[in-house]
Amino acid sequence: MKIRYFIIRRLVLMVPTLIGLTLFTFVLLYSLELTHETQLVSQYINPHSKDIAAQLRKAKIALGLNLSFPQQYILFLERLVNGTWGFFPTQFPMFGGLPVLEGIEKSLPNTVQLAFFATLLSVILSIPIGTYIGARPNSVSDNVGRVFSLVGYAFPVFVLGILLQLLFSRAGVVPRLIGVTGLPIGGTMPTFTSPPSWFRAGTTYPTHIPILDGMLNGDFSFSWGAFIYVILPVLTITYGLLAGLLRFIRSGMVDSLSQEYVKTARSKGVPESWVIRTHVRRNAMIPAITVMVLAFATLLGGVVVVEDIFSYHGMGLLALNSVLDFAPYGVLSTTFFFGIIIVIANLVVDVIYALLDPRIRY
Amino acid sequence: MDLTVEATLESEIVSKKHPRAEDFISTLKVFVKNRIALAGLIIVVIYAIIAILDWVYPAYLGIKSGFDLSDALVTFHMSTYLGKPILYPSPITGSLIPFTIGVSYGVPPYGSGAIITLIPPTLHGPTNTPGWWWIFGSTAYNLPIFPVMLASLKWDLTYTVVIVLIGAAIGTIVGTFAGFYGGATDEAIMRVTDIFFSIPFLVLAMAILYVMGVSINNVLLALIIIWWPIYARLTRGQALSVKSNKFVEAATASGSSRIRTMFVHILPNVLAPVFVQISLDLGTVIALFATLDFLGFHYTSIYLPELGNMITWGDQTRYLFATPMNWWPFLIPALFLVIFTIAVNLLGDGLRDVLDPKLRR
Amino acid sequence: MVEAELSKSEQHDELAKEIQENNVVVKNLKTYFFTSKGIVRAIENLSLSIRRGEVYGLVGESGSGKSVTATSIIDLIPDPPGRVLDGDVYINGFNIYSDLDKLVRVKIKSPTNVKVKHYKTALRRHNKILSSIRGKWVSMIFQEPFLSMNPVLTIGFQLTEPILLHNLTDLISSLVRLETFSKKNALKVAEAILGEPDYQKRSNIVDQFILDYSLYSVKKYIKQTAENISDPEQMATEFVNIAQTAKLGLKVEKYARMRDYFRLSDRVDDLQLKLVSIEGEIKRIRRRIQELSASSPAGSDELRKMRNYLDTRTSQSEKETLQIKEEIKRAKEQMRRVYPALYFKRILSKRVRDKNIRMAAEKRAIEFLELVNIPAPEAIMNSYPHELSGGMLQRSMIAMALSSSPKVLIADEPTTALDVTTQAQILNLINRVIDKRRGQSVLFITHDLAVIAEMCDRVGVMYGGNLVEEAPLEKLFKNAKHPYTIGLMNSIPRHDVKVDKAARLESIPGSVPNLIDPPTGCRFHPRCKFRMDICSEKKPALVEIEPEHKVACFLYSDEVEESVELEE
Repeated sequence: MKIRYFIIRRLVLMVPTLIGLTLFTFVLLYSLELTHETQLVSQYINPHSKDIAAQLRKAKIALGLNLSFPQQYILFLERLVNGTWGFFPTQFPMFGGLPVLEGIEKSLPNTVQLAFFATLLSVILSIPIGTYIGARPNSVSDNVGRVFSLVGYAFPVFVLGILLQLLFSRAGVVPRLIGVTGLPIGGTMPTFTSPPSWFRAGTTYPTHIPILDGMLNGDFSFSWGAFIYVILPVLTITYGLLAGLLRFIRSGMVDSLSQEYVKTARSKGVPESWVIRTHVRRNAMIPAITVMVLAFATLLGGVVVVEDIFSYHGMGLLALNSVLDFAPYGVLSTTFFFGIIIVIANLVVDVIYALLDPRIRY
Repeated sequence: MDLTVEATLESEIVSKKHPRAEDFISTLKVFVKNRIALAGLIIVVIYAIIAILDWVYPAYLGIKSGFDLSDALVTFHMSTYLGKPILYPSPITGSLIPFTIGVSYGVPPYGSGAIITLIPPTLHGPTNTPGWWWIFGSTAYNLPIFPVMLASLKWDLTYTVVIVLIGAAIGTIVGTFAGFYGGATDEAIMRVTDIFFSIPFLVLAMAILYVMGVSINNVLLALIIIWWPIYARLTRGQALSVKSNKFVEAATASGSSRIRTMFVHILPNVLAPVFVQISLDLGTVIALFATLDFLGFHYTSIYLPELGNMITWGDQTRYLFATPMNWWPFLIPALFLVIFTIAVNLLGDGLRDVLDPKLRR
Repeated sequence: MVEAELSKSEQHDELAKEIQENNVVVKNLKTYFFTSKGIVRAIENLSLSIRRGEVYGLVGESGSGKSVTATSIIDLIPDPPGRVLDGDVYINGFNIYSDLDKLVRVKIKSPTNVKVKHYKTALRRHNKILSSIRGKWVSMIFQEPFLSMNPVLTIGFQLTEPILLHNLTDLISSLVRLETFSKKNALKVAEAILGEPDYQKRSNIVDQFILDYSLYSVKKYIKQTAENISDPEQMATEFVNIAQTAKLGLKVEKYARMRDYFRLSDRVDDLQLKLVSIEGEIKRIRRRIQELSASSPAGSDELRKMRNYLDTRTSQSEKETLQIKEEIKRAKEQMRRVYPALYFKRILSKRVRDKNIRMAAEKRAIEFLELVNIPAPEAIMNSYPHELSGGMLQRSMIAMALSSSPKVLIADEPTTALDVTTQAQILNLINRVIDKRRGQSVLFITHDLAVIAEMCDRVGVMYGGNLVEEAPLEKLFKNAKHPYTIGLMNSIPRHDVKVDKAARLESIPGSVPNLIDPPTGCRFHPRCKFRMDICSEKKPALVEIEPEHKVACFLYSDEVEESVELEE
């Protein structure tokens, strides 16, 4: 019961951040209007028509560029709620001429796939490993873990991605040495000579997440095929994320171990493993949880690079292509969208935090 | 009750040396004792020496004439040299070696998957393996890795340091201000930083760069815009806790003005974590700087010697000739980047251990 | 059983007698901290003993090593940086540091460069043994209740922990007893109650009855019945009726098996302790022989006796060890047969996940909360530490420390962090809840002489990591001998000593010594009014100058005169 009120309160508190986010995006758009007006407007005209000047004028009014700053902002908000979030230019890869929202709709599921596996893997691995090494500060395993997380923390994503490609992709070093096929060097999912029947029929294609769709339709070989394409990108993202989490859980453990209540627990005769699991770990997770958001933001940033390296068609590649191929609405929308995702992640983390730490009043 | 702390306090009372000097010495001892952090420091110093030497006397390590990669501010276009033989001095003997670059050059389309169309090489084959002549080998078209790398370190380090220091300075002052003054100022500043924190750095950098247009100065500006909120948040928290100390009250009571209190009493006390953060951020920013270049945000030209650019180039060399065994054009610049990021992280960790007396043994 | 073994060696070893008579005996304890600034010699050669049913006070300025002594007694010195390097601590006859030399090896290269090597297997074994001692025989109350309670766990969870760990067998037995409660049992209890004329004793029996049969939920009715009904038959019927409502309807057979299992498991724990203590005893005799051969001439009577004793004891112990090992094996075998599922599960985790047992533990915890005067204990059980006041938390700490009925309670400045009014309440509470008749004793640590006067039977005064004076309370206050103690006494206002109005309270000049580089000889000599030459050269030993009154000062020592004579 109580937690529900807490969530509602957090939702209300989210509003200023969201408004700030829209404002920020709008300021970006407004400055774009100042600097790149022609390019912005020219996407809404027919380049083959005769009277381009008149069309430009018309498009300008239609876009509301003649309005004042606050008026334009309100228009912007209105379009955000029930609009298409602008259009991609016609020469834009994959989504040329389509609404940005549609591009996001098509790209998001692929990224969800990546983010899900990466988050799952890193959380599943980091908690037990972090607990283990954090409980044994300065031991051999701790040092190994620290080096591992340090390297992961320090490795730029693109270097790691290319390195993994070099090592594990088809024609990579490791598959050559041991004589196996290796993983695909890039792509979102296998290209089919004859795609499965359900894949074409739009209705039986419920989530747009390839792996999940395959499983929902009972086509596990399809899921597996798509999964193979995800492995390397996921590993690339996971390493950095895992490294960050490990580091924080470890330091949380070390910090928590030196607290008085651990002494109390030991003085009661609580066995060491029990002390670690019940008394220390929960306290150690609390600070780690707060940095989860930061880690998640890093993950999303990493997604851009990883999707570029592995030419994986997700949100990251969409954002990058928007920037490089001059799709102003694409840039703004993807930036805004990433912002919303992180704000929501923030909320989730706050709730987990509140559940873990009774000192948070809700 | 912390027995160690108690004991240390006692020893401080009794000792005859100046307490601060002694504290500094013991801090230094702790840092030097941490071999790993020391190693990090040494690596960073070596990088810094290379960068500074390259600034002061570029010919000493870099390239003497002709193909002057060290001077990136001169907008350099490869097409200028198209088809003409360039005299490249060997870094070892100093004698000039001619080689030709032939580039049919266009702005690469999105992504790195796209390949720049290049005319097949005319001189030495695809690449040179690392050896006594080509110290780190060469990339496609015999772009020598060693001198370009030295120039790269210079640019990367310079820009990174400038970005981090300016960002830290702005963030520290703003954060201290927010934490010290509190109230509406604090609230407003924190809401602004909230927005910055709710967008991934890379995406934010891309968006800002997009709006401002890609140029080296704009990259600088964009990354500073992104970086100050981190420090603002960090120092605000610190300032809040420092503010509640008695000595601040004492300073105010003895007639110190608010501004003076902020700069003289609060600011010095929030700096320790800022230094740690700076040392950690050097790695993050250099990686981000390289990442942006890698993604296709070529700053001045695509031939600004820059690690990210070199890694792209090396990666593409691999694609061009479909020889994954050509590891060095990619791996050597990557290694230099990774070593630097690891080193600054080690240094940052060591600094944190030193500055956080709780962890001191 | 440990005591019984030791009694054999009595005639050879006076230490054995001491161990047997006292709850805690500390011998030559040495605890160092290895810091970046040097070695802090926190405790050096400290010996003390806490008798059964006594409140022993340790007093001294902060930094004198009181808390380190307490934490050394239950081996909770944070490592790094601290380490108990030498000495024995006998708790209830068991030497927890008998395997000290196997745990760590300390290599002191220079004061700031000390390598401590830990032997993990031995440490794990040591910790396992200690976790069965801590809480069961000794428990501790800490200074800061807010820091000492885990902020993310409920008070209830933290309170039930020691009960579930140390009183599990008891708990399950009481559950089983409740389920199988019959008229016959009831009659027996009723007769016992009615057969006791003394009111206090009678209520004790009732309490015991409630505890034994886990009848907390109907406590009120039981008490009423016990007070009001005078016919045993009728009372028994009433008891059965009341118990009927309290019954949980458990599968008795399962819990009976569980009880048997845990009885065996307790037995195994005991046997393992015995194994370690036999080992420790042999080691102690060896060391004693070494000491003797160093101090007395070779072939002395005592030495020979001791050697003989060692021989017999060694051969005996080998046999015993074998026997015990056999017995452990058998018990384990039995355990596996009694409750295989539990046997394999408990290898992985000591936790018991059974709702009914948990509930019983919670009820017992509530009993203890009531004992420490906490209003609405059921509500407190579900609250978190930050929701309670310091006094309340300290009370629940006391309840927690007592809930497994330990032999010794270590109270490390339990009132320092509290308000003055709460302090008095907590002190009274500790005085009240300690069951001195059953031999429960307290090690009370404070820097406040007034508190000492209020609480303690015997007092030890600590200075710079040494015990400088030890005496019964009254002797100490009336007839303090050590200059430091005298200084302490003079620094507090007293109503029983007449002072000139002009004269102020005296204070001891100087400050507590730096233990990294302590003064030579007597550590107090730089601040001492009566200092002599010898004070800076030699360290005075703790000598008994009157019965029960020990002082470590050359003012009362024969050594001074001897040395003076030598000079002449």
